[in-house]
Amino acid sequence: MSSHYEAPIREPLVTGEKSYHDISVDVGAPVLGKANKSWWIVFSIALVAFLWGLGCIIYTISTGIGVWGLNKTIGWAWDITNFVWWVGIGHAGTLISAVLLLFRQKWRMAVNRSAEAMTIFAVVQAGLFPIIHMGRPWLAYWVLPIPNQFGSLWVNFNSPLLWDVFAISTYLSVSLVFWWTGLLPDFAMIRDRAVKPFQKKIYTLLSFGWSGRAKDWQRFEEVSLVLAGLATPLVLSVHTIVSFDFATSVVPGWHSTIFPPYFVAGAIFSGFAMVQTLLIVMRKVSNLEDYITLLHIEYMNKVIILTGGIVSIAYITEYFIGWYSGSSYENYTYLSYGAATGPYWWAFWALITCNFIVPLTLWVKKWRRNIMWTFVVALVINIGMWFERFNIIVVDLSKGRTPSGWTMFSPTFVDIGIFMGTIGFFFVLFLLYARTFPVIAQAEVKTILKSSGERYKRLREAGKSLEGTATDKRTSQKDSFDAIEHEKHSGEIMLLLENVGEFDPTTQKKDHLQEINGIGPKTELHLNDIGIYSYQQISKMTKREYDLFDSISGSLRGRAERDDWAGQAKKLINK
Amino acid sequence: MNTMKSLIKILVLTVILTSFASCKKDSVPNYQYMPNMYAPVGYEAYSESKAFANGIEAQVSPEGTIARGHSLFEYENTTEGYNLAKETLKSPLDSTQVDLEKTKVLFDIYCAICHGVKGDGQGNLVKREKILGVPRYDDPARAITEGSIYHVIYYGKNAMGSYKNQLSEKERWEVVSYVLDLKQKLEGSAK
Repeated sequence: MSSHYEAPIREPLVTGEKSYHDISVDVGAPVLGKANKSWWIVFSIALVAFLWGLGCIIYTISTGIGVWGLNKTIGWAWDITNFVWWVGIGHAGTLISAVLLLFRQKWRMAVNRSAEAMTIFAVVQAGLFPIIHMGRPWLAYWVLPIPNQFGSLWVNFNSPLLWDVFAISTYLSVSLVFWWTGLLPDFAMIRDRAVKPFQKKIYTLLSFGWSGRAKDWQRFEEVSLVLAGLATPLVLSVHTIVSFDFATSVVPGWHSTIFPPYFVAGAIFSGFAMVQTLLIVMRKVSNLEDYITLLHIEYMNKVIILTGGIVSIAYITEYFIGWYSGSSYENYTYLSYGAATGPYWWAFWALITCNFIVPLTLWVKKWRRNIMWTFVVALVINIGMWFERFNIIVVDLSKGRTPSGWTMFSPTFVDIGIFMGTIGFFFVLFLLYARTFPVIAQAEVKTILKSSGERYKRLREAGKSLEGTATDKRTSQKDSFDAIEHEKHSGEIMLLLENVGEFDPTTQKKDHLQEINGIGPKTELHLNDIGIYSYQQISKMTKREYDLFDSISGSLRGRAERDDWAGQAKKLINK
Repeated sequence: MNTMKSLIKILVLTVILTSFASCKKDSVPNYQYMPNMYAPVGYEAYSESKAFANGIEAQVSPEGTIARGHSLFEYENTTEGYNLAKETLKSPLDSTQVDLEKTKVLFDIYCAICHGVKGDGQGNLVKREKILGVPRYDDPARAITEGSIYHVIYYGKNAMGSYKNQLSEKERWEVVSYVLDLKQKLEGSAK
């Protein structure tokens, strides 16, 4: 009987007969393997979109903002819409990794890595817009309070746009550190599994010499918890500050105290929708269905229902206050020609449909647990949340206080091209990430394997002991060792070891014998079984030892001699 | 080996840094970062411009035009004009409009270099014998009047050039008052 108690009502978070080794293999597979054709196709498309967007950005900066569809009334449109959209998307990652960590949500572990990656890549996209929408972006460094030769001319700290600078840059750096700290044990896993020297070298550098000692793990946990504690107020404050760009203004429709929490809820709403979009594809492509299960998708859908509900309440509140305030401008913005029936009625109703009506279907358990439908809803929410920002920015600006300033906005191909470009850039980064990073925090998933793994839950329910269940014949040598074979050849093995020397694991290090031509994974395992682990031992082999080995293994006749293992081993020692 | 490597690094760094430092030359204007509004779009006074035949922005106004706040000087640049001015030209300023303290500054700047601070023809240039023959204001043979002083400031006389470009009309008349004051003082000290 296991002493661990977990409520039987909880569904397993890791399905399949997974062992610790399986997790390493499954998570390592996309990194250690080769990219397939469809990856290259999708990557090329994303790259082309990115390059096209880059061209549009260069065109904008070199020619001027006038190539966009902005006019004198509507000075913010697609640029800030996309900025807020991307920042919003970036919020789910930190929410998943920080807030859910504080709430001890175990299901977070399979999705947090990718959600954080999404955060970082989305914030990078968002970070482009404040720069490129500047008239003179090459003077962007003036937003920083740096001592200078203009009599130390400083910035005014009263503008939310400056707070944006601090918020976004802090958010990006903290998220990056949080993400990277979590990656260390996983990079170390890849480092230890990598075979190609270059790959090994890279992951050695990336993993910062992580050795997984108890003290390391203890501090790792503390740092994660502290960072989670810091990142949580950060998530709330960053999008709050973004909402201040509007809420602190005097524009009817913008000047609203509900914006900070409403924007944050919207950010989590759209962020989770994006996580769904990405993970539903990724679990399929990277064969991670056992880790990102239907349960994860359902949990995320529940967060979407919650935050979508908060956003819907905010819409209703805005409408109510528009009427209740008695301010003719507010009333006009929301109720009269402003939103629902004005020239931008389609954007308004797109918002209501995408953000309010469609997500309501997730209340139905059957649809919430339907992966295809979840994917559709997630896409629809992404579109809807884009329209939300578009509505807030463009609709409210288009009909301000003086009717003589009323106008419409229509984007140019450059506006659209830059947006497409950021989507392309995002996917370029995400696709590269999916091929080079351990996309699931395997170290964390391993901590919940025995408590929430399907196999172990079953064993516990059946009242069986978990002792020895984690052994895997690929990692437990005792299991893979064929005792009978060993017995049969014990004399020859002893003779062989006498000549090449015993391997002492306390003082010596195991070599990667597959470096030697002619030794494959199987042969290496075989050599290890016999007790040969180092180049030193192999280098001492002569004709007699080759023959001994041949007779023990019963295969590979003369192979060792032909390949000159001893000679190769000597070279490897001297290298 | 390691010291060798770090030496090379230091050397490379030094070369890079000195190459940056050597970019700025005192004989030519320094480099600018993004000089967006550094060069004027409009015409600036005294600037060169290809828009005009003589290549300069400062063009002479047409003959016979009078700018607002200015008037014509109707005495000619001849001996007759000089004599006429000597007899008939009077200062438009009354005593309240002349501050001799302030006018001293104008005189010391434009006139005293030759005529001397006291108006005795002993300016610095005369003392150093750069020029000779600067008369005293109390020279009885010249018997200068306010009209003649103004005419001389305006057109110049003999070796003296015109000062109408240095002094405005009011300043000229102020200097005239100051010269007369100096003349009086010289006559007083001579007696």
